[in-house]
Amino acid sequence: MVYEALDFYDIDSQLTEEELMVRDMVRDWVEEEVLPKIEEACSEGVFPDEWRVSLGEMGVLGAPLEGYGCPGLSYTAYGVICRELERGDSGLRSFASVQGSLAMYPIWDFGSEEQKQKYLPKMATGELIGCFGLTEPDYGSNPGDMVTRAEDKGDHYLLNGAKMWITNGTTSDLAVVWAKLEGVIRGFIVETGDEGYSAPEMKGKHSLKASVTSELVFQDCKIPKDRILPGVKGLKGPFSCLNNARFGISWGALGAAQACFHSAKEYALSRIQFDQPIASYQLVQNKLSWMLREITKGQLLALELARKKDNGSWIPEHISLAKMNNVDIALDIARMARDIHGANGILDEYCIMRHMANLESVKTYEGTHDIHNLILGRHITGIQSFTRSL
Amino acid sequence: MVEIAVLLKQVPDTNAKIAVVGGRVDESAVTSWVTSPYDEYALEAALQLVEAGGGSITAITLGPMRADKVLKDAAALGVTKLVRIWNDEWLDLDSNQVQSVLAEAIKESGADLVFCGKQSADRNQGSTGPGVAEILGAACVVEVSDFNAAEQFYLRPAASGSEKVTVNYPAVITFTKTESELRRPNVRGIMMSKKAQINLVSSDAGASQVTFKGHTSPAEKPPGKTFEGSDSVPEVVGLLRDEAKVL
Ligand SMILES: Cc1cc2nc3c(=O)[nH]c(=O)nc-3n(C[C@H](O)[C@H](O)[C@H](O)COP(=O)(O)OP(=O)(O)OC[C@H]3O[C@@H](n4cnc5c(N)ncnc54)[C@H](O)[C@@H]3O)c2cc1C
Repeated sequence: MVYEALDFYDIDSQLTEEELMVRDMVRDWVEEEVLPKIEEACSEGVFPDEWRVSLGEMGVLGAPLEGYGCPGLSYTAYGVICRELERGDSGLRSFASVQGSLAMYPIWDFGSEEQKQKYLPKMATGELIGCFGLTEPDYGSNPGDMVTRAEDKGDHYLLNGAKMWITNGTTSDLAVVWAKLEGVIRGFIVETGDEGYSAPEMKGKHSLKASVTSELVFQDCKIPKDRILPGVKGLKGPFSCLNNARFGISWGALGAAQACFHSAKEYALSRIQFDQPIASYQLVQNKLSWMLREITKGQLLALELARKKDNGSWIPEHISLAKMNNVDIALDIARMARDIHGANGILDEYCIMRHMANLESVKTYEGTHDIHNLILGRHITGIQSFTRSL
Repeated sequence: MVEIAVLLKQVPDTNAKIAVVGGRVDESAVTSWVTSPYDEYALEAALQLVEAGGGSITAITLGPMRADKVLKDAAALGVTKLVRIWNDEWLDLDSNQVQSVLAEAIKESGADLVFCGKQSADRNQGSTGPGVAEILGAACVVEVSDFNAAEQFYLRPAASGSEKVTVNYPAVITFTKTESELRRPNVRGIMMSKKAQINLVSSDAGASQVTFKGHTSPAEKPPGKTFEGSDSVPEVVGLLRDEAKVL
């Protein structure tokens, strides 16, 4: 069954030749190297190391960053890469999002010249893997109240605290960790092997199984003074990273949705019940046309957002809308595709259930669905409703 | 150091549905064009030869503007010399004409070696490599299925096992499927390909000796047959043996 990416409005015709070549490169790689192995990776709960190597060889890590060995592609190309990766698996796209937007980006934007030269070229080739430590056991949607803290000890910083739900944590060579220094949130680079630092893997996930998720533990973790990111203070640091990653997710979720749509369409055409293909029944057609409708709207949203990212006319609320909408419809499409597949929909022979379970995480991470609603609510009314005193 | 010309043909995606309209394949209905698969093996072999012993590659295609894509794809893998041969008057070049315009461009490129697929995925004629060799007065080895880039020998299937050959220049080698799939590009290569210049050339194709009379679609496959119950086993076996000829 050859994959035909749903593109009802021929949106890819808006891409440049270079963006199309990047799309084809990633799509072929996913088809040939990822899809044949994804179920095994999920059942073993691993992110195959050869995927790290290939992503580095293709040169897609940190896609929109320029200089220091980074690809220097457009945000549109970055979106397309995320879409094609997540058509394979959200865990794969998560790996690339974390590496590029959450670990490379803060070093690229807020790091010192030495930090950029030391880390970025090797992160672009996948030789060094990074993770991003913001969430804590008691602070998820509300990272501003984090308790992880750094103390200035004269010739070094001392970190204490714990992060949770950290993608790539255990397999990382470095972590960009957000912690409070004299009450102000700052970014620190912690390297694997630093005294007092450990990153045990979290087990038992039913979602994003081909992605490594970890705790980061800092117990009197001693790091040299030159590991603080000098260029940013406060929540602006982590939030700038999240903006880029969320942008990638708004495209990525469409990849998962397109994969589910494709499978549902093929299945509906071939599955015979009551002597006819189920695709011939109006209720099934209604489901398929609803999927097409939502995917097409999501694609238009993602493309326009990419243009805004490329020409600099975006605001964070634009990204909230696209992340929230596209993950939401992708999850609904996965559920509806599962329904069209009947019992077969729960088997690992089809991609459906895996995408559906993955998208549950995607709905929660990078700002939950509701948090993005609240961001939009504040934008509309001018009143923040995240917090109030009871 | 070797100069290699690789002949790349753009063909409809091998999965594409081909429609015949007015007695001719409707090219406008083809949504996806690709480099002919055997030509990709030829290109990979050329890249490996140049990596092993130095030299350079000229990628040559014959086709309308859309065929630039196969050259750009080659450029993304590091091929810097790109030639497209075309003349808007050309419609149905016969094999001799194709070979003669390709040979012309190959001479121009100064290549010692010519690599191409054993046949194209659309016409399947298998005449281009040998025909070009004839015009160039070059040695010709066809259906190469394996090669050694460092020692420059080639293996081809033979009646019993395989045949190993080396060849003097000038030579034309045609490739069948080898173990070396065409490598994937990377972002750096793709960005370089943006700058790659395609040299558009035209030449005299001479008069055609073959007159194209029309395409027809293959006959529709008869519908499948279903059999139920163990009583039908002898009948099924009979049909498999006598009709399908698979037993
Ligand atoms: C697989 C996976 C990978 C992850 N990777 C990373 C990573 O690499 N780095 C990292 O730092 N974090 C990571 N996270 C953490 C993720 O960002 C958090 O889970 C997310 O921010 C939500 O936090 P929480 O889980 O604590 O939920 P909570 O914040 O406790 O939210 C629970 C529910 O309450 C709702 N809620 C919360 N506040 C409000 C409010 N004010 N009004 C209305 N509703 C509200 C939420 O919308 C949600 O429905 C990952 C999570 C997962 C599942």
